[in-house]
Amino acid sequence: MKIDASKPLEYSTEENSNKIFGFWVFLGAEIPLFATLFTVYFVMVNRFADGPSGPEIFEIGPLLVSTFLLLTSSFTIGLAVHAMRHGYKKAMMFFMAITLLMGLGFIGIEIEEFLTYVHEGATLQTSGFLSSLFVLLGTHGAHVSFGFLWGVGIMIQLWRRGITPATANKTFIFSLFWHFLDVVWIFIFSFVYLKGMM
Amino acid sequence: MIKQLFPIRHVMGYLASLVLSAAALIVIYGDLSHTANVVVLTITALIQASLQLFVFMHIGESADTKKELYLNIAYALFVGLITLFGTLFIFVWGWYA
Amino acid sequence: MDLEKFKVHGEPLIYGAMISIALATIGILVGLTYFKKWGYLWREWLTTVDHKKIGVMYILAALLMLFRGGVDAMMMRLQTAAPEMKFLDAQHYNEVFTTHGLIMILFMAMPFIIGLMNVIIPLQIGARDVAFPRLNAVSFWLFFFGAMLLNISFVIGGSPDAGWSAYFPLASLEFSPTVGNNYYSLALQISGIGTLITGVNFIVTILKMRAPGMTLMKMPMFTWSVLITNVIIVFAFPVLTVALALMMFDRLFGSQFFTMANGGMDMLWANLFWVWGHPEVYIVILPAFGIYSEIIATFSKKNLYGYTSMVFSMVIISLLSFLVWAHHFYTMGQGVMVNSFFSITTMAIAVPTGVKIFNWLFTLRKGRITFTTPMLYTLAFIPIFTIGGVTGVMLAMASADYQYHNTMFLVAHFHYVLIPGAVFAVIAGFHYWFPKVFGFRLNERLGKHAFWWIIISFNVTFFPLFFLGLMGMTRRMYTYSEETGFGPLNMLSFAGAVGLSIGFLLLVYNIYWSTRYMPRDTTSDPWDGRTLEWATPSPIPAYNFAIVPKVKSLDPFWESKQKNIPLFEDKITKIHLPNNTGKPFILGVIFFFLGFFLVFSMWIPAIVAGVGVIVMLAAMSFDQDHGFYVSAEEVIATEKKLRGETV
Repeated sequence: MKIDASKPLEYSTEENSNKIFGFWVFLGAEIPLFATLFTVYFVMVNRFADGPSGPEIFEIGPLLVSTFLLLTSSFTIGLAVHAMRHGYKKAMMFFMAITLLMGLGFIGIEIEEFLTYVHEGATLQTSGFLSSLFVLLGTHGAHVSFGFLWGVGIMIQLWRRGITPATANKTFIFSLFWHFLDVVWIFIFSFVYLKGMM
Repeated sequence: MIKQLFPIRHVMGYLASLVLSAAALIVIYGDLSHTANVVVLTITALIQASLQLFVFMHIGESADTKKELYLNIAYALFVGLITLFGTLFIFVWGWYA
Repeated sequence: MDLEKFKVHGEPLIYGAMISIALATIGILVGLTYFKKWGYLWREWLTTVDHKKIGVMYILAALLMLFRGGVDAMMMRLQTAAPEMKFLDAQHYNEVFTTHGLIMILFMAMPFIIGLMNVIIPLQIGARDVAFPRLNAVSFWLFFFGAMLLNISFVIGGSPDAGWSAYFPLASLEFSPTVGNNYYSLALQISGIGTLITGVNFIVTILKMRAPGMTLMKMPMFTWSVLITNVIIVFAFPVLTVALALMMFDRLFGSQFFTMANGGMDMLWANLFWVWGHPEVYIVILPAFGIYSEIIATFSKKNLYGYTSMVFSMVIISLLSFLVWAHHFYTMGQGVMVNSFFSITTMAIAVPTGVKIFNWLFTLRKGRITFTTPMLYTLAFIPIFTIGGVTGVMLAMASADYQYHNTMFLVAHFHYVLIPGAVFAVIAGFHYWFPKVFGFRLNERLGKHAFWWIIISFNVTFFPLFFLGLMGMTRRMYTYSEETGFGPLNMLSFAGAVGLSIGFLLLVYNIYWSTRYMPRDTTSDPWDGRTLEWATPSPIPAYNFAIVPKVKSLDPFWESKQKNIPLFEDKITKIHLPNNTGKPFILGVIFFFLGFFLVFSMWIPAIVAGVGVIVMLAAMSFDQDHGFYVSAEEVIATEKKLRGETV
């Protein structure tokens, strides 16, 4: 395997740089995926039948906390990659752990939010609007949950194998995924919640 | 050490994203028109998304695939936006009434 | 648990199918054991990460599905051959036309094309492998087990029966209470994930792994078409993913996306389906354009006319393909503005397509044409596809479409587009590249016999449907009364379908005959080819190219033959290859069970299988594959043997 020392570790082999490029293409596919979910949501937003509408169930408090957590975790995963490029394994692991913990917090708040909705009689089965809301939020939440498991897996590999071209590559790709989830959340924050509470 | 661990670009990017999120709250606490609200949301969201893309995701970093990455995102946005606005065109704005 | 829901009742045909499936399975198991081939099967095929073998498996699966879809087609033509036929009942007929469409598009045309691109693309760009060989195996096994999941629906629980487009509210739990449409949403989802991964893999392969010197505008046309196809795959399939997921939520968890009450919107399904569905048409047709371009250039002994315009027309088609979807439901109730917009974009597609047709004609002009079997299919494609295209423009006119909509005219139109545009192309490509993969050609005489049977019977089968449509026969009706007057033309169409079957049987017989009797092709370049795949020995060694070629022009192999420019200049060195792995296969099996349990709402087993998927993904992530090296001496020996020299 040829290692190109002039590039950061995560790009250093041909395979590595292919993987990063391939993951960008995959994120490209995630854009129409979420765009379609937003499409469904916007078509459904006023079709709440006998159930509650958005303004009746959205709450600003948990929303701000979860947004803060996700924005901050996106910042810390950026710091983790930065530390990785300087070879600081401990700092890198620390930032990754913070990232994943905040991800976990985000998932916790989302589950709590869903339970509250269900408690208020707003379930997946209630109306077209609620179906589309649950599936849009749920798909994002599923991505975060998957990201959490993935991140734990990478941390175990980092811990066992150290910062190698392979683990650096995985961490970098994971960071792309995590930032992307933040981008999606920004649109959910703005066009689902804030627009719904306007 | 601290300076190395907290690069200024990232810190600024992070603070900007917090500020922008806070600024977007004007649509619920402020007293703007509906159109102005939507404009505010669109602008703050787009800036935030670009922040992530350019500052945190380093999209412009790799010289040999830079063009391909931009094309990739552009194509994805094309399909996503067409799906979104095309569907709204069919079912909302252009629906036979 | 209620075993009743697994059973399918009442039809002797289905019992026959059950027995034959059981017998075939037992036969395969016994055969493998008797000939002691289990180890061979596992080592050489089930665990392979070699793009050529994966390609061959795709094509084998596609041929199998062609048979299954073909049998469906024959049953439909037989049932409608005469008025008041009692061969199939309405429910069975519904299942047959639904699975015919699904299988032919998703499990025949697509895998056949993906198979050809697996085999050929790395060779055409002078690469040793695809970018992600293991992911490639994952793609294949997800596709394969998705296809199997759909196929078992016929005997376990019942097939989907709401048409391949599964429109709501018909496909909802209320109106389609069997598990058929659960199969639909899950089988397509699983194989769709596989297809999406293929898309990513080939985009990276083509953009990043080309031989030195091969700039984008020096790529062979098939490679260009595959690149653009995969771009469409990557951006269109996520829409299907969402649509299928919503369908699954509606059917399994009672959500209200496509329901008639509680704010649901049944028409949204049709919308999402076609947002994916129309680009899907171009996913199967663009690679066909690439195959034809290669064949026309080779057998006219000329370089392709208008290379740049070919590329740009494909790029434009790929963009336009995302802008036309509403023409599939002009009659649904949207306003005049909407229909006008989509009508114009639809007609606009005819322009770049026309450009391509003229480029092929100009390539033929003054060429030294040899009429081989692949070339015959290509030449037949041009006029037949044009008929399909012109009737497409007729359908594109929204106001006129109110007359044609859902009639046999439409059925005739899309068979006139998809059969020459995809099936003839994969058959042509199959004949053309067969000697590269197996080291001998298919028999030309038998090939041409099959060609004439297929081409004539195709027109006999589908041309009458245009008139039946204009007479008012709607699609998907399982029978009709004698007074309608639809009888004679339907009988003619049935006769054509019999002829088509004979043609396909001849094609299969040709594979058998040629395997036994055709002499080995030692030239490795039987057609006097132009592109890099003909520069490596046939059958292709595991490492593809002993030396990575240096490309200086378009059609590099042709140029190197004509002007004596050496393609391979470096010395042979050791070559790095990836190890085989059984994990993608196991992942596919687990996905199959996950899908199956979800179809029948068996939650506990489904959760176990879901955990199994995550465990497998983790296992694959923790795997460290450093691959292995083939030594330079070994490479030299292999090359000599394949080139027919004695070692």
